[in-house]
Amino acid sequence: MRKHIRYIAVAVAAASMVGFSGCAGEGADGENVSVTLLTADPQENLQPAIDGFEAANPGITVEYEYVPFDQYNNLIEQRVGSGDAGVDVYAADSGAIGSLASKGYLVDLSEFSDEVAAGSLPATLDANTYDGKLWSVPMWTSMQYLYYNKDILDAAGIPYPSSNLDEAITYQELLEAGKQAQAAGATWGVLFDQINRYYQLQALIESAGGGSGATGEDLLTPAINNDGWVSAMNFYSQLFEEGVAPRGVATEQMPVLFSTGEAAFIVSGPWQATTNANEGAIKYGVAANPVFEGGTPAMSTGSWNLGINPATDQMEASKKLVEYLSLTKEGNALSTSVLGISPTNVAAFDDFVAGLDDRDAPHTAGLGELTKVQLSSIAVNRPNSPGFTQMGDVTGRAFDDIRNGQPVQGTLDSAQAELQGLWDRLK
Amino acid sequence: MTLLARKGAQGASHKLAPRGRSRSLWPIALIFLAPTLILLFVLRVIPAGEAVMSSFQNSPSRLIAPEWVGLENFAVLFGSADFYQVLGVTGIFIVTIVPFQIAAAVFIALLLNERFPGLGLVRTFVFLPVAAPAAVATVIWGIAFQPRGPINAILEAAGIPSQPFLTSPSQALFSIIILMSWIGIGYWTLFLVAGLQDIPEELYEAATLDGAGWWQCFWSITLPNLRRTLAFVVVANTVSSLIAFVPVAILTRGGPADSTRLIMFDTYNNTFVLGDVHLGSAEVTVLILILITVTAIQFRLLGKEK
Repeated sequence: MRKHIRYIAVAVAAASMVGFSGCAGEGADGENVSVTLLTADPQENLQPAIDGFEAANPGITVEYEYVPFDQYNNLIEQRVGSGDAGVDVYAADSGAIGSLASKGYLVDLSEFSDEVAAGSLPATLDANTYDGKLWSVPMWTSMQYLYYNKDILDAAGIPYPSSNLDEAITYQELLEAGKQAQAAGATWGVLFDQINRYYQLQALIESAGGGSGATGEDLLTPAINNDGWVSAMNFYSQLFEEGVAPRGVATEQMPVLFSTGEAAFIVSGPWQATTNANEGAIKYGVAANPVFEGGTPAMSTGSWNLGINPATDQMEASKKLVEYLSLTKEGNALSTSVLGISPTNVAAFDDFVAGLDDRDAPHTAGLGELTKVQLSSIAVNRPNSPGFTQMGDVTGRAFDDIRNGQPVQGTLDSAQAELQGLWDRLK
Repeated sequence: MTLLARKGAQGASHKLAPRGRSRSLWPIALIFLAPTLILLFVLRVIPAGEAVMSSFQNSPSRLIAPEWVGLENFAVLFGSADFYQVLGVTGIFIVTIVPFQIAAAVFIALLLNERFPGLGLVRTFVFLPVAAPAAVATVIWGIAFQPRGPINAILEAAGIPSQPFLTSPSQALFSIIILMSWIGIGYWTLFLVAGLQDIPEELYEAATLDGAGWWQCFWSITLPNLRRTLAFVVVANTVSSLIAFVPVAILTRGGPADSTRLIMFDTYNNTFVLGDVHLGSAEVTVLILILITVTAIQFRLLGKEK
């Protein structure tokens, strides 16, 4: 009996050991090459471009992986940072290129520099360049407008804001108009699309004269508690303090709050027109991005770019994929066809702008011209600091705190000190 | 009488396993334990060892081999006011949530140990939250806590002013405690009910015959006999609370004003959001030391026989 027990025990122990080594072995397919593309967008947004790429490149298939935005940065850290070859090509956010390149998380793509300079929108070359090298290629860019609900404004007797950049409504006027709209029955007065993210609020801060917040030759000296930042954040705080914008509502819910008729205004990107069209619930118009009273006009821009993981074992196929999605008119246009965001390839961009007026006609009349004017004169990109990841995190928490009623100066002073400490670690 | 009989039975079982024979059973016991021990070693001991080692190193990138930097990471941690805030918030969280959950779990366990109509239904309501995945429960509570959410709707209907909950530094941590207790209390109650059912009924019968009341029975029979179960529940609850993460990560990201910045979230943020693996490892090392100290003290206090 004891002998039997021993045999069983040995078998159990052996089985558990087999379990540890049992993961090895994979069926490699010599003919087909597979490239994994990791992004922060659901697969359906890029499916037309993937289909186009696979049709144009027989023998290469694209495996798509989607990770929500809030977890995206962490996942890049874990997978690319650990040398995981399971990711070949990944989307890199504007502003994060310096940070990713300085850590060795991107392949040098300088061989595409001339093509990007010749075929992509002018600002995109700089946005993807760090330390004199091109580390990623542009895929999308963005612009911001002021959307307004015509029915709500009519009911409140508020004139429509101008789509002429020289006559752009000020943020302060917008706040008052928002309150007036609420007095006439609107649930919310003024919303921002990404209500607590640096990307969205950079334009407000730069318009108030606060600068990007990253200074010094290496962009590792924070300046996020100067007068401009304080003025901008005082306005931002007032929005929530006076109940014109909601506290405690996730940023992802903002576009829907506007498209379902809950808000009078929203500062948002071209994708808002897609959301509005899908909902089909409101009559709306599009005006120029607001400007800070007494400040200079500014509009947030930039979006996702494409980089290659240095650990990839499919370098050639990966380069073909980024080339198709960024540098060909067809691929770049297809990548934006579902979401309605702006492509960066010049030829694709021209078509995109030409189609903007009809995006959700008649509401989007004049959007094409407004896009061209704003993009060429008031666009501000995120600073290409090697510490942008830290900056996005610290400022994001500061924005949340101010939104929730914390004093502006104290919050910005704490954020300044915290960011300085984090950036000192990078020097 | 019953107690004596029990003692006798225990003595008999000792006699069945003479010392020489018990020693010869060790190799078999080891073989049966091997899978668990190997898993524990691979999944717990090795990562903990790596974290401790990494806390004495630094590197500008995870792809670049780290250098030994001595106590530099610990100096950065303890030189930062933010870390003391993290320790303070974690301390308040632990001393609030653990006694609250244990007291509530003991109360509910005593209730469920009685027989009354509708007992099954009450048990279902108590244990149901345990089956809900933490992330799902968090998202639902997040909606409930919204300034214009259902909880405030009920409060306003009752004539009570609406509350800011997760958007207020003075209420956010307690809102997280309520959310976690909704799951936690039912979970710890499961163990305590089992512990209560292990207490021999005869002890209560004897005490009742001697004229003891409910409170005397609870104090002199229930609590002493429940001590081992309680020791486990207190220690396990403390450990699980010290590594609480999901609600903070999903709902507050440590805010507002760092009022919910628990140590596990801060460690995660340093390691994975900011990519500072070695600073994160130093924080893990501090956390391991705190865990060892707290659990050792608790075991000593609660595990001691009278």
